[in-house]
Amino acid sequence: MISLSDFNHEHIPQGVAVSVKDLGLTYTTSIDKKPTLKARIKTVGRGKKHTRVVRALNEINVDVHYGTVLGIIGSNGAGKSSLMRVISGIVPPTQGRVEVFGSVSTLLALGVGFNPSMTGRDNVYLGGLAAGMSRDEIDRNFDAIADFSELGEAIDAPMRTYSSGMYARLAFSVAAVVEPDILIIDEALSTGDAKFKEKSLNRIKELRTSDRALILVSHALATIEDICNEVIWLNKGKLMMRGKPSEVIAAYREFVDARKSASSDEDV
Amino acid sequence: MDKPLVVYEPFRAGLPPMRDYLRSLWSRRTFIAEFSRSELREQNYGSVFGQLWLILNPLLLSAVYFLLIYVIGGSSDSTRFGHLTASLFLFYLIANSLTGGVKAITSGQRLILNTSFPRIMLPISATVIALFKFIPTVLVFIVIHAIIGLPYSWQMLWAIPIFVIALLMALGMAILISCINVYFRDISSMLPYLTRSLLYLSPVLYEAANISERIKKAEIANPIFYLLDSWSRVVVHAEAPSRMGIIHAAIWALAIFFIGSYFFLSRERDFAVRL
Repeated sequence: MISLSDFNHEHIPQGVAVSVKDLGLTYTTSIDKKPTLKARIKTVGRGKKHTRVVRALNEINVDVHYGTVLGIIGSNGAGKSSLMRVISGIVPPTQGRVEVFGSVSTLLALGVGFNPSMTGRDNVYLGGLAAGMSRDEIDRNFDAIADFSELGEAIDAPMRTYSSGMYARLAFSVAAVVEPDILIIDEALSTGDAKFKEKSLNRIKELRTSDRALILVSHALATIEDICNEVIWLNKGKLMMRGKPSEVIAAYREFVDARKSASSDEDV
Repeated sequence: MDKPLVVYEPFRAGLPPMRDYLRSLWSRRTFIAEFSRSELREQNYGSVFGQLWLILNPLLLSAVYFLLIYVIGGSSDSTRFGHLTASLFLFYLIANSLTGGVKAITSGQRLILNTSFPRIMLPISATVIALFKFIPTVLVFIVIHAIIGLPYSWQMLWAIPIFVIALLMALGMAILISCINVYFRDISSMLPYLTRSLLYLSPVLYEAANISERIKKAEIANPIFYLLDSWSRVVVHAEAPSRMGIIHAAIWALAIFFIGSYFFLSRERDFAVRL
């Protein structure tokens, strides 16, 4: 779901929204799935740790200015989601520093915080509150959310009766009413059918204003090229290239083709 | 350039800026209430009686002990029945808070990995759920109290501070155990035995007055022994609690709450990586 940090902030247009300096992130994952006493005892005295280190991000430097729509592309495991999580304060970096100059709303996964046994209506409140909205704000926006989701009367049915498309539509609709300074979206555009996709895309276009910064992660290269005015390309935790959408995407396509894995990167 | 609003730097164990943290937590109070309410609904979802189970549970529990004491035991000791139900109900406030708290963080994985919010909200809502379950038991006890003809007095007002101490204890335990479970998952499998032991070690099935002084001394190590004893004295016997009992309970509650919160707050930024 989304989360809106609790600060209201005045900022200068064109000013820096997010500044990422020398960022590194390593995950230490245990080889065993869960840390248990048995595993702990087995390793005692062997001087061997049942862990391996994964370098998710390596010396990333990026500044995102207000008015920018930054697209992030890269193959699976490139570190895109990790970067989003560090910027939104979910995972602390292992190295470097991230400075954020405004309220951040993250849309990393749809429908987080939703409870399937509650009705769509209850979940609008649950999701909205999870996003940091107040009850009043949700009251005011409720009709807009319900309209946007096109659920009609289904809004009063329990969410476990929803199709996955309906679920995603409601989740996106709740997210779309929040108007933060900095909006971070991870793969959320691929929700619902073609018509709803178009609608959510338009909503994101509406959010492109000079006093807002958008950061978008997607595998849909055509969409990225259409919406963004700047693109960065990550590969194995490293920043490969940064620049105009058309140029970066062309370089990325060439790279992917060269690795002969050009199956289907288009449209998620 | 502006001063940054938020800075994220490498994780070091240590407390976050407390004023911002508490402000952010306070701003999410409606979410805590709504989240707890929906979790509670989820638990009784699909059952015929639904939310009525909140009142049916304590009723059935006291019916079982009624059967044990009055019918099978053939006794007509109403104090014993009153003591059992009152103590059990308060014990369940703490036990429910522990069982809800133990998985609060590990089952909130999706929420934690995708949203930034004060993580302590999750064990708090486990305690709120335990509180929601406790309130109907108070009503059931009030009825039992009247039916079996237990005494009344002004000393019963002591129930309020004792309840506050119990709630703080329940909250502290939920916070502590949710954090422990992130690093040591086995605790969730051990918990049923821990709560069962705690039940037998505490004056629920027996009265504190009936056990030897030597054991009573050892019970200082049991955080809820004197809490439950004070509760029973106040609501069953309508007497004032012992000063030692109140102080013992309060010290334990504060200690668990502060140690648990410190442990939790200083590590919570690390949780996302550990899930």
